[in-house]
Amino acid sequence: MTLMTIFLLAIITFFSRYCFLHPSLPIKIGAKLSNFLSFSAPAVLTAIWVPIIFIREDRLAINLNNPYLIAATIAVLVSIKTKSVYLTLAISGGAFLLLRLYL
Amino acid sequence: MNKKQLYFNIAQKGFFDMLPLNLAVIPWGILCGSLAIQRGFSVFEALLMPALVYAGAVQLVVIELMANNTPLITILFTAFIISSRHFLYGLALRKKVKGLSLKWRASIGFLLTDELFALSTNKKAFKGQIRLAYGVCAGGSFYLSWLLWNIIGIVAGSYLPDLTNLGLDFAIAVTFIALIIPNITNLPALVTVCVAGACSVIFELLTLQLSLVLSALIAMYSGYLTTRILARKANRQKSDIDNNVTNESEEQGTS
Repeated sequence: MTLMTIFLLAIITFFSRYCFLHPSLPIKIGAKLSNFLSFSAPAVLTAIWVPIIFIREDRLAINLNNPYLIAATIAVLVSIKTKSVYLTLAISGGAFLLLRLYL
Repeated sequence: MNKKQLYFNIAQKGFFDMLPLNLAVIPWGILCGSLAIQRGFSVFEALLMPALVYAGAVQLVVIELMANNTPLITILFTAFIISSRHFLYGLALRKKVKGLSLKWRASIGFLLTDELFALSTNKKAFKGQIRLAYGVCAGGSFYLSWLLWNIIGIVAGSYLPDLTNLGLDFAIAVTFIALIIPNITNLPALVTVCVAGACSVIFELLTLQLSLVLSALIAMYSGYLTTRILARKANRQKSDIDNNVTNESEEQGTS
């Protein structure tokens, strides 16, 4: 039963990724749609990370006791300043660990 | 530089561009692997999750659902909702990928995670054989890393404490911050990010099921509208200048 479920899940994730790459699908992507789609990466990825930071235990958590919020603010500043993925991960990750320990 | 060397260099670039993301998902991968073991999956089943399903969020949510004996249809529907953002990725990359042979198309399709998509927003990614090597190498290295971190979680699973409340989701958030924030270089991108952030928090608090995809679509449309408004403004300014020029020349003609 578990195996069966895993195979069905694999079909679902693969289908969602592959579906629109298939050439015989009758879709034409014009200039307008193409421009619209060019915003998909910042839109989707932001919609993933922002709720992780601002919503803790199903509630809006905009306060200084929220280590996610403080560490994410540091991450935003470091990423603007350095543009380095490594530095952003290291500095804000370290800050997050410290905040978890001391808050 | 001969062709072979070019391929090697671009594949290497793919590997090194993906490397920070490969490392950033260590905690998340270990969590997924260990959770499967702790929730009663066999080692083989726990291995198949990253190897075949290959999707962090789906793995995590579904493992909990399966452990609670949730009906199959609910499990599949939940997985579909979480995966639905990938339809957007496929659509965005369609132009570049649809012309490839089945083997390469299917490979890119299988490897098309959030992380690979984030790297592929580069206009040149995937287009042409050489760029394809970049994508497949970046995506392939991410797949192997994901598998490896899951295996570590599976092996260590029974010795580790429950990791679900340790705040490992911060690693995901900060990875996306590092990828997105430095790329906000114009107004449409800024509008997109702000709208996506605001909508996703509101929809999430309202516990809308399609919160993620819905916020993304609204944000994309906002970005698109901003481009249109800016273009119209630029056109108007240009035509104003053109009009002035023609008026002036007419005046010169009459004098």
